[in-house]
Amino acid sequence: MASVDLKSVTKRFGATEVIHGVDLSVADGSFCALLGPSGCGKSTLLRMIAGLEPVTSGTVLIDGADVTLVPPAKRRIAMVFQSYALYPHLTVRGNICFSMSLAGEPKARQNERADRVARMLQLGPLMDRRPAQLSGGQRQRVAIGRALVRDPQVFLFDEPLSNLDAQLRVAMRLELANLHNTLKTTMIYVTHDQVEAMTLAGKIVVLDRGRVAQVGSPLELYNTPANKFVAAFIGSPAMNFLPASIRSGNGASLEAAIAGDRSLTVARRNGTALAGPGNCEIGVRPEHIQLVDPGAPNAIISGTASVVERLGNTTYVYVDTPSGRIIVEAGGASPIATGANVGLSVDASQAHAFGADGAAL
Amino acid sequence: MSVADAADVAVATAVRAETGRGSLRPVDGTGFVLTLLTVLGALFWIFPIYWALVTSFKPEEDVVQPGIKLWPEHFTFENYSFVLLNTKIGLWYLNSLVTSGAVTILVMLMSAMAGYAISQLEFPGRRLLWWLILASFMVPIPALIVNHFVLMSQFGLINTWAGVILPQLIAPVTVMIYKQFFDSVPKDFREAAIIDGATELQLLWRLYLPMNKGITTALAIITFIAAWNNFLWPFLVATSEPMMNITVGITQVTDAFGVKYARWLATAALAALPVAALYLIFQRRVTQAIMLTAGIKG
Amino acid sequence: MGLGGQQKITALILVGPFVLVYALLFVYPTVNMVVMTFTDSPLIGWGKWVGFQNYIKLASDRLFSTAVWNTLYFVVLSVFPSTLLGLIIALGVNRLTGYWQSAVLAAFFIPYILPVSVVFRIWQWALDGEFGIYEPLFRGFFSSNMSIYRFIPAFMPVVAAVTVWWLVGFNVLLFIAGLRNISSEIYEAAELDGATRWQMFTRITWPLIWPVTVLVATIQLILQLKIFDQIYLFANGGRTEATISLVQLIYRSAFFKNQGGYGATVALVLFVLIVVVSVLQYQLLRVRGSR
Repeated sequence: MASVDLKSVTKRFGATEVIHGVDLSVADGSFCALLGPSGCGKSTLLRMIAGLEPVTSGTVLIDGADVTLVPPAKRRIAMVFQSYALYPHLTVRGNICFSMSLAGEPKARQNERADRVARMLQLGPLMDRRPAQLSGGQRQRVAIGRALVRDPQVFLFDEPLSNLDAQLRVAMRLELANLHNTLKTTMIYVTHDQVEAMTLAGKIVVLDRGRVAQVGSPLELYNTPANKFVAAFIGSPAMNFLPASIRSGNGASLEAAIAGDRSLTVARRNGTALAGPGNCEIGVRPEHIQLVDPGAPNAIISGTASVVERLGNTTYVYVDTPSGRIIVEAGGASPIATGANVGLSVDASQAHAFGADGAAL
Repeated sequence: MSVADAADVAVATAVRAETGRGSLRPVDGTGFVLTLLTVLGALFWIFPIYWALVTSFKPEEDVVQPGIKLWPEHFTFENYSFVLLNTKIGLWYLNSLVTSGAVTILVMLMSAMAGYAISQLEFPGRRLLWWLILASFMVPIPALIVNHFVLMSQFGLINTWAGVILPQLIAPVTVMIYKQFFDSVPKDFREAAIIDGATELQLLWRLYLPMNKGITTALAIITFIAAWNNFLWPFLVATSEPMMNITVGITQVTDAFGVKYARWLATAALAALPVAALYLIFQRRVTQAIMLTAGIKG
Repeated sequence: MGLGGQQKITALILVGPFVLVYALLFVYPTVNMVVMTFTDSPLIGWGKWVGFQNYIKLASDRLFSTAVWNTLYFVVLSVFPSTLLGLIIALGVNRLTGYWQSAVLAAFFIPYILPVSVVFRIWQWALDGEFGIYEPLFRGFFSSNMSIYRFIPAFMPVVAAVTVWWLVGFNVLLFIAGLRNISSEIYEAAELDGATRWQMFTRITWPLIWPVTVLVATIQLILQLKIFDQIYLFANGGRTEATISLVQLIYRSAFFKNQGGYGATVALVLFVLIVVVSVLQYQLLRVRGSR
């Protein structure tokens, strides 16, 4: 049970800097996800918290104590690796007891603690098997068990669900959520899957090429993205971006013209003064766009429905417009047909504006 | 560079390698020592070769002086020129080249063809042949030297190239590796080529072999090296000096110049030159081939 | 003829040369060898059938038991050190990266590609009784100008050491391949679990590399049982009978004493020995693996 803080942490591999002065605070007992595409540095950050990767500069604190130079085994952390890293030559029991046997604990105590963990994760019947004889989901539970038995103050997860098939992934996600609710230990979870992050985490840190793009709760990131990167990464299907030019604006809102001279008034996140008329991008999520007649007065833009995906509970319509391809989420019963001309009406209160540098305006 | 200088460089680089990644890591003392030991071990390991080479470039009088000179005071080629001009080394080279080359070409051809047939074709006795090849692993060639000698003498091939070459054509490992690699070519390629009208031979030559060019090179190099380095059999079969392999020749012909260390070492260097060059040029292929052959035996 | 028949013909053409060579140079001599053990044939030509006489002679032949003892002694002296050393060197080399790793690996491996006679010359020179560079190390052993390996009790250890120097590169290569197969995440997990370097070696590396260790040891074992070249070269000019190996005995009996049948008998014994060792290896691997 401990907080984790990173202060100005930088990481360089040779001449290449991969993490650029990251600051991070994870509250005690919370579930924090490090989210981002491959290569953004999330695993590197996790490994620096674990102590498996030395920090080039900056400080790592666990429960307020500076652990930057402390070896991993002494940080009272446990880690579940992406490939589980189970010792192939040991049984499940052997794997779980490994750290205790290294420390020379008496066998009785080892078994007692191992059995306790096994009960919690329903590993009882598997205790004498080898990893090679287990399924993916079972192996993952053993990996969690091995981490659990160390009674750590912080749990680290490195993309633990990415090796599982889709159905199993959903089931394990629930188990992990349950685990956190039961143990209430601080958990830091690395993933590239925004669904996992959104469903499991109380707080998400979005990383873009070694920098923190935004930190916030799932809904915060969803509703008020701070930049185009976060806006595009969170939410599926992804947000649509329409090129626009700024007509006018003040601290509270701005008016932008979308191709075809229709304009939109969008509320602003960033209260600073506008640099002046220029170009920007308007971001709108598929569920905030409505299909209307092409000539309707509230249609911002119009185009042709090139692909219609019907999923039963909802329909995704891909509309080709002069501003590019726009995804619209229509109702399950939408009568739209492929090739039809449609107009798109945008709920301006749900739209976002992003400047040329990607930051929210 | 003297041995001491080389060690200094090694130490400095080792220190950099250990602490280069991430300057905030506490210095890993044991790790550094281990790396240092490894590098020193390598230097120690290669020293005898270095020493032999250096000696071969010293004039004979310098060689028998007391004291250790790690670099020749008088650097000379006289040992090499003497050997090249006054012994049959040219003939030995020729013999080695011819026999090793022939063994390599023949083994590669036969193994590729047989490996392909066993891998891809159905024919009577296929299983039996495979078991035979596996069995030949067990029988050590040195155990057969007597019978091979007898056989070669029955054909009148003692002291001839053919006599040296023939028994070396038994190479189960090559066939097994080819079979393994041919097995792993996806069936789709074969079927596409058959639809295009390829015959079996064309399949072998224009599909399976080109797709495995890498191991062909690797196996060829390693077969050549093994044939070049072979001692026991060429030693038995070549009964006269002009027919000797170079590896045999350099140990047999010592009386010609008495105890002349530098010259002996010069001949040894000349004998090792081709295979050493092959290795240095094709390092990766050689190591790959070695691992393959071990994989087969395991 | 049908497609199948066409395939058969092509197949027979393809395997033809191979089968021919195998039949002539493997099957025939092997069968001959076995048959010969029951005759008193000289090297060339046939003798008469003598039943098990050769085997009986073998059992009481002092030279044979010397050869067996020497061969086994040599095997113990060379196989275990070269296997262990191979692992140790591989652990060291595996920690290096890039150019350094290639250079160090090459240093340990180059001896392996040298012909045995070149290896002999290099070490004959280095160990020379008068001018050898390692001679000062042995000066304490005796006063004469003999090279260390002329000293009979030292012969096998010295030749074994040279053999280890020659062949260890092969073992190192195999061990490195095996070590690379152990995912680094396992070591990281162990690091997290608090394992010391030594514990990582004994609890993780050693058990996981065991199959490679057995493989290396067996390959070396089978290889060294057939020892001839180095012993012949180093013993030449000295008391060769004291240090004779099994293959040397074959050579001697057949080529010097013109006893083809007897030589074949020794060869058969060697063959059986190798088969037994190979089977033992298989069993050893299986037993350990399932524990």
